Amino acid sequence: MTECNGCEFKPELYYDDEFQIWVSKEEDGKLKVGMTDLSQSIAGKIMHVRVRKPGTKRAVGRPVATVESAKWAGPIPNFINCVIDTGNEKVLENPKLLNIDPYGAWIAVVTPELPVEEALAVFLTGEEARKGYCQRAYDDDIQCERLSL
Amino acid sequence: MANTEFYIDNDEQTILIIMTSGPSTPSRCATPFFLGSILAAMDSDVSIFFTMEGVLLAKKGISDDLVAMEGGKKIIDFMHDAKEAGVKLYACSPAMPGYKIDHAEDVIDEIDEIVGGGVLADLILEADKVITF
Repeated sequence: MTECNGCEFKPELYYDDEFQIWVSKEEDGKLKVGMTDLSQSIAGKIMHVRVRKPGTKRAVGRPVATVESAKWAGPIPNFINCVIDTGNEKVLENPKLLNIDPYGAWIAVVTPELPVEEALAVFLTGEEARKGYCQRAYDDDIQCERLSL
Repeated sequence: MANTEFYIDNDEQTILIIMTSGPSTPSRCATPFFLGSILAAMDSDVSIFFTMEGVLLAKKGISDDLVAMEGGKKIIDFMHDAKEAGVKLYACSPAMPGYKIDHAEDVIDEIDEIVGGGVLADLILEADKVITF
């Protein structure tokens, strides 16, 4: 497993430049969106997640979802023009899953306006992403912690 | 869609939070920023306006050490979360001298603008919702 300060990193995923979210390619031209290990650690135990209603268009900068823990509230930010396809009802019903398995517990599936490869061009992946991810963990002194089941 | 409570379907709105609470009532100082963060994450255009004792939260050194609950997160960090979510912070200049904030340099960098009562009046008139803490 690749990690920095105990924060797991997956080279096959796509990330924004602050490593708040991860994005993965689905086979049907859609994208899955979730929170990184860094984000779930900063938030702490997540108590509520709400996703934009399926079918709604989201422009760049318009959040996909909102997340609340006891000490943090904020958006799941959005970096591409897309339409919300669905929310992960398992996570919506049991938000703690984001703290247990942040890369397994996806939050929403979206359909990008552009073809997938073009939409993914705004994200970082692979070694470039790993460097930035680790840099953020070190610079902001983020020590990742997972909740257990 | 089985559970509509899990899905957000609100219109975009302009929200003004008038923050009059300050260090004498620390337990009132975290929630306004927390709520502001959520509203901003739900596409609202959120402004928090510090006036009366609330301006003290905009004074350097105050919010760095203030917590709403024992062992809780610092108020300055709640402010950072709100700003990260897109909330704008205003401080009321006429309220400052009474709280011994004499110079713009005494104000924390997190404040977007130091403005007069007229701007507060404009913000109130333009807002869809006004909330006071």
